[in-house]
Amino acid sequence: MDIQLKRGLLDICVLAAIKDGDSYGYKIIRDMKPYIALSESTLYTILKRLEMADMLTVRTTEHDGRLRKYYHITKKGLQRIENFKREWNEILSIYRFVTKEDAKNG
Amino acid sequence: MDKREFLKQLRKGLSGLSRADITERVSFYTEMIDDYMEEGLSEEEAIQRIGTVNEITFQILADASPVPKKHNSWKIAAIILGSPIWLSLLISVLAVALSLYASLWAVVISLWSVFGALCSCFLAGILSGAVFAATGYIVPGVAMIGAGLVCAGLSVFVFYGCKAASKGAVLLIKKAGQSIKSNSAKRRVQNA
Repeated sequence: MDIQLKRGLLDICVLAAIKDGDSYGYKIIRDMKPYIALSESTLYTILKRLEMADMLTVRTTEHDGRLRKYYHITKKGLQRIENFKREWNEILSIYRFVTKEDAKNG
Repeated sequence: MDKREFLKQLRKGLSGLSRADITERVSFYTEMIDDYMEEGLSEEEAIQRIGTVNEITFQILADASPVPKKHNSWKIAAIILGSPIWLSLLISVLAVALSLYASLWAVVISLWSVFGALCSCFLAGILSGAVFAATGYIVPGVAMIGAGLVCAGLSVFVFYGCKAASKGAVLLIKKAGQSIKSNSAKRRVQNA
């Protein structure tokens, strides 16, 4: 997949993974696993990027005598998901246009 | 490989990044490994799941934005606007360095001039002593020659002192130059 497109989609996926409640690295990967495989390193980069873009905030809490970082979605992050849903219709119609010829031939 | 060894290697693999960045990434992977282990994986399995250090560093490079760094025009503006401050500071630092350098050599030169004075006292003492003696003033003549010989003796000691001082000065300047060079090299590595 085109790297820019994939990057954008993965950002949305991670935002969706923390939409319904704060989550942490391992849980995000586990929740996404049935849909999309994500390496730890890629997740790190995405989380960092989303934090920089003010789409999520990070808080460190103690868990079992060690530290764990929880990620919390911001208003801006929620907005990003809503925008994506709206954009999706546009993408779908582009897809239909692109595959129009295939449908005729096939 | 156990967790400690893995994190040590990871730290080494990431050494090109800033210290804060390394700490953050290492703590991220530490948390991941701990969470995998909490889910029932062994330490070995958890580390295998994370991947090798090589894979991680490669991923970091791949994820890094391909967009080249923008030239920060405000940074350049700050350098130019701040020039009355840093320029005068730079000049004063250079002036201090120059004066230290000059005073070091002044010490060496003055030591050598003491040596030169002793040598000329020796020559003058012998010569004037001989003149005194030849013109009939035997006792002052002998005293002059004696003083000349004393100067000659002292000059031998002073000569060694001068030699050592010159050597020390050259060494000091060399060392200062080296430390400035290695410092600026270190800074260049950090900025890169």
